[in-house]
Amino acid sequence: MKCEQMAELLPDYLQGSLNAEQNGVVEQHLMECADCRDEVAVWNKLAALPVEKPSETLRERFEAMLRVYQAGRADKAAVGIERANRASAWSFLNWLRSPLGAMAWSAALLVLGLFAGNYFGSRTPHTTASQDEIAAIRSELANTKQLVVLSMLQQQSASERLQGVSFTRREDQLDPQVTAALVHTLRYDSSVDVRLAALDALSRHGSQPQVRKDVVDALQEQQSPLVQVALIDQLVEWRDPDAKQRLRNFSQTPNLNPVVRQRADWAVSKLN
Amino acid sequence: MKEQEQAETENDQAMKLAPDEELMLEVRNGAGETLGVLFDRYHGPLYNFYAKLTGDRTLSEDLVQEVFLRILKYRQSYQPGTPFRAWIYQIARNARVDHYRKTPKQVSFEPEMAPPVLPKDAAQESQEAELLHHAMMQMPEEKREILILSRFQELKYEEIARLLGCELGTVKTRIHRAIQELRQVFRQLESGAITRNPHSGAKWIPPRRAGNEM
Repeated sequence: MKCEQMAELLPDYLQGSLNAEQNGVVEQHLMECADCRDEVAVWNKLAALPVEKPSETLRERFEAMLRVYQAGRADKAAVGIERANRASAWSFLNWLRSPLGAMAWSAALLVLGLFAGNYFGSRTPHTTASQDEIAAIRSELANTKQLVVLSMLQQQSASERLQGVSFTRREDQLDPQVTAALVHTLRYDSSVDVRLAALDALSRHGSQPQVRKDVVDALQEQQSPLVQVALIDQLVEWRDPDAKQRLRNFSQTPNLNPVVRQRADWAVSKLN
Repeated sequence: MKEQEQAETENDQAMKLAPDEELMLEVRNGAGETLGVLFDRYHGPLYNFYAKLTGDRTLSEDLVQEVFLRILKYRQSYQPGTPFRAWIYQIARNARVDHYRKTPKQVSFEPEMAPPVLPKDAAQESQEAELLHHAMMQMPEEKREILILSRFQELKYEEIARLLGCELGTVKTRIHRAIQELRQVFRQLESGAITRNPHSGAKWIPPRRAGNEM
């Protein structure tokens, strides 16, 4: 058998869905052909890729979403019952039984049918839950995510704090509380990695003057040359008008790491 | 009281054993809490699908969340008789496509997923896993996806064919090609040939042959 024929059989062989005869044919070929044998070997090696576990926050976020959904349904059900109570007046039902009522009833059904045809026909078939409901769920999710971020930034382990920071990176707009937490992390976090990640997260929000000011302020307190240089580079990138004087003062700081001083002087010249 | 409790546990157990499709019909009829059972069954596989595909753990969690939100949103569009597994993977693929439409791929802060955490006693195996991970990430996305679907997600080829909207034969051919490419990239990485991009015409270097290799 040739390798081209293997193309048809090999995938089934790998899933174990060949009959005994075909299986024998494949195995015979594998004994003769090193390339095909190696393909099977690499496929088998894929088992070494570990099954990853999502973080606990995934379940928390799911449960929060479900709570909002259930609450939304409960509200709707309550409204429905109230309406039903009001509409269940006997007199109305009796009137419907009269010939006049029957005519009105059929007319109403016709109008309803036309309306429904128009309404549902023009909508995409998939949007079934109300937009409000989805909007409420989304906003709750954003809140939950924010809480998760805030709590993660408080964690003992640096990798969890790092994850907390990285959670914020996809947001177009930061909640003021989250911004404040990121600034706090940038200033005081014990891990250089986490501080750098916080700066990276804040760097996307340089259009806010307050963020730029916080970053300038953070420079004075940093001890790690690595973070200092990253902060200086960020300020150059933003071309913040106030930064120049601050950087000039900063480079006069006694006992400054020479590399950092050089970087600060370079930044001042860049901002001129 | 006891009887009631017993009835409740029986109910719970029945739910835990019920097929996905039955549970989804309940969700469709408004029983949100039933979605929890489906979440238990699928959030792990979906997370692994996304993590292997995108190499980004945070994004993977966001996307899993999005899938379950969409299930609630589109629950009425679930048709009785539709295999649930195929349906949820369809949603999962759409969620990813929509995400990249909204947020074009950007160079991330962690450009590649940190190597998976592995038991320390398997040093060689872990090195191999890391190489495989890198090899996977170097492959074009469609090939990576079909490999993940067929190797890790317990999907039958027929299900993959329906998912990708192609013939069964095409699926098999594509899987075979993906394996061939994975093998090539993996062996190149293993032999230390530094190739950032396997499509840049890098020379194929024959794999090393160890005596005990099959």
